[in-house]
Amino acid sequence: MSDQGIKSRPKYQPIAPDPQGRHHLLVVDGAHVPAEALAEGVNPSAFEVWTVAHKSAVPGSAAMEEEAGAVRVFRSVPHLFSALEERLARETMGLRLYAAGTEPFLWDAYGIGARAGLSQQEMAFAHVGAQARRIFCVHCRTVMEGVTTSIATCAGCGAPLFVRDHFSRRLAAFMAVQIDAEVPGEVPQAEELYS
Amino acid sequence: MTAGESLQVRVRDIVELAPSLKRFSFEPAHGGLFPTPPAGGHVMLTLRDGGRVMKNAYSLVSAPMERARYDIIVRLVAQSRGGSAFLHRKVAPGDVLEMARPVSLFPLASSAKKHLLIGGGIGITPLLSFLPELKARGARFELHQLSGGEEAPVFERLLAPYAAGEEIRVHGGGRAAFDLAGLLSRQPLGTHVYVCGPHALMDAVTATAAALGWPRGKIHKESFGGAGGGLPFRAVLKRSGIEVEVGETQSLLEAIEAAGIDAPCLCRGGACGECRTEVIEGEVDHRDDFLSAQEKAGGTVVLTCVSRARGPRLVLDL
Ligand code: FES
Repeated sequence: MSDQGIKSRPKYQPIAPDPQGRHHLLVVDGAHVPAEALAEGVNPSAFEVWTVAHKSAVPGSAAMEEEAGAVRVFRSVPHLFSALEERLARETMGLRLYAAGTEPFLWDAYGIGARAGLSQQEMAFAHVGAQARRIFCVHCRTVMEGVTTSIATCAGCGAPLFVRDHFSRRLAAFMAVQIDAEVPGEVPQAEELYS
Repeated sequence: MTAGESLQVRVRDIVELAPSLKRFSFEPAHGGLFPTPPAGGHVMLTLRDGGRVMKNAYSLVSAPMERARYDIIVRLVAQSRGGSAFLHRKVAPGDVLEMARPVSLFPLASSAKKHLLIGGGIGITPLLSFLPELKARGARFELHQLSGGEEAPVFERLLAPYAAGEEIRVHGGGRAAFDLAGLLSRQPLGTHVYVCGPHALMDAVTATAAALGWPRGKIHKESFGGAGGGLPFRAVLKRSGIEVEVGETQSLLEAIEAAGIDAPCLCRGGACGECRTEVIEGEVDHRDDFLSAQEKAGGTVVLTCVSRARGPRLVLDL
């Protein structure tokens, strides 16, 4: 019963620069652009790339170049995202935003882009890395990261939850609903699904 | 046809703004108040000149909160298809006309961070209808109106009530002195552009914006009036069993209406798709902004308000 065929699951595909765009900014949640994130024949130098080193020793980017081929390294994802917010606030029409990484990263990037006024036509996403899901409990609104099973216990209210394929773009998380609502205690075996 | 029954309106006053521009103010013929119009609302007037019936669409330029009167601005065009000449020359205060209830054909994008409005000549009217709404929402906007030198003061006056603290500019030097690419390239993310005016201006804005990376969904064109006349042709209305001659300065829709057929329509400017009619035979000269390139290439539908036949004859399922 893992896939209920609900259509809100986001679609991802390998990234290629939109020929209609004037400037292309690619953010990734790792130190390098994963090869599988790009469409065949696409070179990372087609983008201005922002990466996350996940360490404090980050080479200071001297001149902040904002052009294709430039690479800027951040210490952490929050660091990258706050710079992204500032950058988008002063960007002009013609920019395209691309993100490659885990689902929560992609949809946080989507949220920042949407709040800055980017439409879906101006953004593209490639899902790479862990398939673990961010879920939120619809009963108590607790958000849990890194869920890899179809069934999980809510860290907020303790309810046994079934992770649905229903994805909230606003919360960048999958919806999880109490599984034994009808027959309390009747909880099927959890399956490892999204590792 | 249009939603709801039509309104009977009395001409309150007519103000000459410029030699070829008049503002008509209407009030409900039977007293009371008009319905609250939507922002960017259009109305369609039915004009009866002897035996001839003409229907023309106009933007409301009065504020949506103003319900005692509806105002429109009409340009007298040199080769008028009749409606504007009739309004300019034959309509007088006190006359009662038939008006369809206002509808909004060009809503403002609710998700826009900023609205960039570009008008050319009489294309200012739908933009004027947006301004009260933009002000009420406290939305960020910028307006550029292009005009010939002699009419620039008229447009300045029309925009004056909204100008305080806003980026509103009238360019009296026309297109040549207007840096369109510069304007479009410095707009912040999340801007939507709306253009209304001559086809050449609308095409220039669309093409320039696209070349600068604006996505299609953030470029809005407001076609206005007909796309001009063309060679006369004959339209065969299969279901009605009649044939009509479409004259050089007449639209296909007008010719159908003149024959007494109640054909669907709303904007009369190739923007809403309401007048879409199946083509059984004949080649279409598509002049609208509504049908997709595929539909146009398919050749099985026509928007009667602006498009014409490419050959001598068009057979319609009407
Ligand atoms: S009436 Fe609107 S497209 Fe023809």
